[in-house]
Amino acid sequence: MKCSNAMKRMILSIAWIIVGAVILVLALFGKLDEFWSGFGGALVAVGVLQLIRHIRYRTNEEYKEKVDVEVNDERNKYLSSQAWAWTGYIFVLCAAVAAITFRVMGKDELCSLCAAAISLMCVIYFVAYMILKRKY
Amino acid sequence: MKNKVEILRKERGIKQDELAKALSVSRQTISSLETGKYNPSIMLAYKIAKIFDLTIEEVFIFDED
Repeated sequence: MKCSNAMKRMILSIAWIIVGAVILVLALFGKLDEFWSGFGGALVAVGVLQLIRHIRYRTNEEYKEKVDVEVNDERNKYLSSQAWAWTGYIFVLCAAVAAITFRVMGKDELCSLCAAAISLMCVIYFVAYMILKRKY
Repeated sequence: MKNKVEILRKERGIKQDELAKALSVSRQTISSLETGKYNPSIMLAYKIAKIFDLTIEEVFIFDED
């Protein structure tokens, strides 16, 4: 039996809730530290919200139509891809400024961290460019 | 790229919402197209031209500037 994308998303939301609940319970019983209780709670919250959205999508025709238009609207897709491009560009600029600042302040560890982030972004950009070059 | 979308739409008495629904895009996309802020893909340009029963060249005017 083939599973639709909407059904897959619903299953994923339920999975988030289950995983979050398990983490939360383990944290409450002291098996995990406080960080994990927050993490588990967040997973449950995200899963519940996603599940409500999916149920609404499946039961409310008007909402489904609205979501479909929003998701498939080519201007929205263009804006989203432009926003990601700006985000990447601004992130690299900020990281470069931070790296220089930390170097001047003598905080070499933080400087290296920023430089590593820039390098990683450059590698991801190069790989993404090569993949897209093959695709188009 | 300039276009005659707003003129053609008003000539035919179509609302932005109605055109958006017919093209499966948002009303904001139609608004941006009409003000020239956004240039459509060739597929959307084709759909718009088809709705007005015209060719792409008759709806969209290529401006080299």
